[in-house]
Amino acid sequence: MAGIKLQNVYKIYSDGFTAVDNFNLDITDKEFIVLVGPSGCGKSTTLRMIAGLEEISKGEITIGDRVVNKIPPKDRNIAMVFQSYALYPNKNVYKNMAFSLELHKMPKEEIRERVMNAAKILDIEHLLDRKPRALSGGQRQRVALGRAMVRNPDVFLLDEPLSNLDAKLRAAMRTEIIKLHHDLGTTFIYVTHDQTEAMTMGDRIVVMRDGVVQQVDTPQRIYAHPVNMFVAGFIGSPQMNFIAATLIQKNDGSLFLNPGENTIPVPESIKSEALKSYIGKQIIVGIRPEDISDNSTAISEHKNSVLNGLVEVRELMGSEAYLYIKYGSERLIARVDKSSTAKADDTVTLAVDENKMHLFDKETGVRIE
Amino acid sequence: MNKQLRNALLYSLLILFAAAFVFPVFVVLINSFKSKLYISSEPFTLPDAESFAGLENYISGLEKTGFLASFGYSLFITVGSVIAIVLFSSMTAWYITRVRNKLTSLLYYAFVFSMIVPFQMVMFSMSKIANILYLDNPIGIILIYLGFGSGLSVFMFSGFIRSIPIEIEEAAMIDGCGSLRTFFLVVFPVMRPTAITVAILNAMWIWNDYLLPYLVIGSDYKTIPIAIQYLRGGYGSVDMGAMMAMLVLAIVPIIIFYLRGQKYIIKGVVAGAVKG
Repeated sequence: MAGIKLQNVYKIYSDGFTAVDNFNLDITDKEFIVLVGPSGCGKSTTLRMIAGLEEISKGEITIGDRVVNKIPPKDRNIAMVFQSYALYPNKNVYKNMAFSLELHKMPKEEIRERVMNAAKILDIEHLLDRKPRALSGGQRQRVALGRAMVRNPDVFLLDEPLSNLDAKLRAAMRTEIIKLHHDLGTTFIYVTHDQTEAMTMGDRIVVMRDGVVQQVDTPQRIYAHPVNMFVAGFIGSPQMNFIAATLIQKNDGSLFLNPGENTIPVPESIKSEALKSYIGKQIIVGIRPEDISDNSTAISEHKNSVLNGLVEVRELMGSEAYLYIKYGSERLIARVDKSSTAKADDTVTLAVDENKMHLFDKETGVRIE
Repeated sequence: MNKQLRNALLYSLLILFAAAFVFPVFVVLINSFKSKLYISSEPFTLPDAESFAGLENYISGLEKTGFLASFGYSLFITVGSVIAIVLFSSMTAWYITRVRNKLTSLLYYAFVFSMIVPFQMVMFSMSKIANILYLDNPIGIILIYLGFGSGLSVFMFSGFIRSIPIEIEEAAMIDGCGSLRTFFLVVFPVMRPTAITVAILNAMWIWNDYLLPYLVIGSDYKTIPIAIQYLRGGYGSVDMGAMMAMLVLAIVPIIIFYLRGQKYIIKGVVAGAVKG
């Protein structure tokens, strides 16, 4: 069991490319941290630096009380699950799981006990004699997890472990990994490009872009208070709507946003000193699809903040429906009730929950608050 | 053309080819049981009551050539060279495939280039150098075979290693392996089909090679091909019976070795080709 500290960590390749730029993070013991971001954002590189598979160009990584910069992977007491599972193809499942323990010269009986125990938890006892090629994707994934489990590592590192599985299996394995973390009580660092995985699994999420950490926070906070447009757009599905609007101050001092032909009042809850400097300027308004509604209750509740748009496409998802709306030159997505009658080519009135608007600087994309 | 006819034609063609390849071996085999006179006059007939010589040719061949000693030298040189080639070229290939820099790519191309250089071009200077460096003995020639064999072998191993996901090696490093254990416990077992292919190809060539041992170690340590050649006496007299018998004995081990490992040849060659 151990916490991990990354201080001013850089990864700069010989050609000058900076893959990870001044990464700072303090991971507490038993925490489940998810590194998320688009491909090439440096999340896997960061994980590999923690594992010791990648050299650290600058900075310091501490696992427990030890600075591990110069310690080889085998001596860091970590376990890693790879995207491609990386099972040893010539060894059967039992041997795959026992390999590291054999290398550490553990008595055979204890190896057997640990492997059987992990196999029982993961429900792979009946597969122990099989070679990896005779296993399905999901089974291989379990073996890879089992291989990591038997070692009782200080830290579990998981590099996109579910991305090779089909959607249904992925959802099932997601739950299992959460359960596993709960049962093992070990620090987990999980890399993914899938925001759903990040939201559902992590105690805290680290959102990365171009090697730079954008935001570190709990899933709830990241969803409700994204620090910039990138985080706002990356977390949440369907993604947040962004509309350019001018901030107007009326004679009575009240602030309004003017996206196209409609106006939306800026409620007290999101007013700030910083916002005042944007009066008369264009800013970006972010609205989550679920904060736009076409039902009459919502429209009467938010009657001062309505938009009129043209439905281009309606997608029924079963429990809800997505409306793809053309609003002036902008495109919006609204997540509405499945009973909504709006259909393609209808002009609809949509209520925006003004209290849940997110305001961003148009130039820098940074949240205004 | 219907399928049956096409198959029949294809099979006839394949049988014809197979027969063409097996025929010379068959001729050697039947003649090894015929007495000398009949070998020259009726080389293609099966031995009959008159021409059948029993094991006479084999006995005289063994006596004249010192076959057992030659067999020992051939075996020592072949086994030694094949072990050296498989071990060193697989390690080299692993290194130059996984560590990518200018030096390793230069090395890779040097190995590939060495396949293009014909043996005849270097044989005289090479045998002279072997002589100067005291490599003109069964142990020294293993080193020379390592040199000649490693071009193709490194090329084949490199092709295969590129198809092994590097994550397997990384997993081994995290599991507790250093470089040597990663290679011997994880990488090498995965490369088994290629290793067997490389072993068979090199064993066949080295076992049958005449020119290199003739030039380097000459008559001091006669390998089988050289020993058989000594059955050609002066003035063109050849003991054909003994020669045929010794040829049969010479090809038997390599055929057994080939048959035991031939299923891996296809595997090994294809495995390297998938992601070359």
